[in-house]
Amino acid sequence: MSNENKHWKEDFPINRGEANQVSRRDFAKLLAVVSGGMVLGNGLIAAKAFFSDDEEVGEKQKVCTRNEIPVGGTKSFVLKNDTVPYILIHTEEGEFYAYEQKCTHLSCAVYYKPGTMKIECPCHNGWFDVKTGEVLQGPPPRPLKKLVVTLVGEEIFVQHPKTENV
Amino acid sequence: MSDFRTGQENAHPQKKSMIMSTLIVVLLTNLLIQIWLLYTALNNALDGHKEVAYSTFIASLVLFLAGTIWLYFLPKSVK
Repeated sequence: MSNENKHWKEDFPINRGEANQVSRRDFAKLLAVVSGGMVLGNGLIAAKAFFSDDEEVGEKQKVCTRNEIPVGGTKSFVLKNDTVPYILIHTEEGEFYAYEQKCTHLSCAVYYKPGTMKIECPCHNGWFDVKTGEVLQGPPPRPLKKLVVTLVGEEIFVQHPKTENV
Repeated sequence: MSDFRTGQENAHPQKKSMIMSTLIVVLLTNLLIQIWLLYTALNNALDGHKEVAYSTFIASLVLFLAGTIWLYFLPKSVK
């Protein structure tokens, strides 16, 4: 039985030149496979969104006392049973705000620039509003995640917000 | 009995190149739209807008199926 016209011979050619050649047919099929990969990726995002538990409202946690952060100063902290870094900011207006310290662009650490009422990401010159966490400038696509800050006497507590976007 | 593809090749033996280029351009366009859908899904899901993740998944799936069916029109390779 002759193997001359078998399709598999195209995949295992003898000459190196033929082995390196990608025909337009193969390229078109490759595009369809990559397209399938995109569907898979999109499906994973949808599945994660569907199964993730966003009703979770964390308990109040004490970060520090009022005196520990000077005006214009910040304090980094992590919540219990969590590794995500957060930053507590004492603004010049006397308010306290807490945000996730990871930039929404490429997860660089953000910091408060005293006197500007803005949070800066130095990696790609991204800026956020310290009051809302909204993006003011630069490449970040989303606002910073915000925690709810409450003052009880001199003590400062933070808490995950409810499901609604904060 | 000839099907559409055989008929297409018989009717347009000189136009394989054009057909192939068109197919690839359409597939590439599909892929670009899917990349944009993936980016949008990710950003919106992280922002808490889950419904965007579902709708972009369906749109991406439709584009994939369209692209796969599109392959049926690939001209046969020249022996």
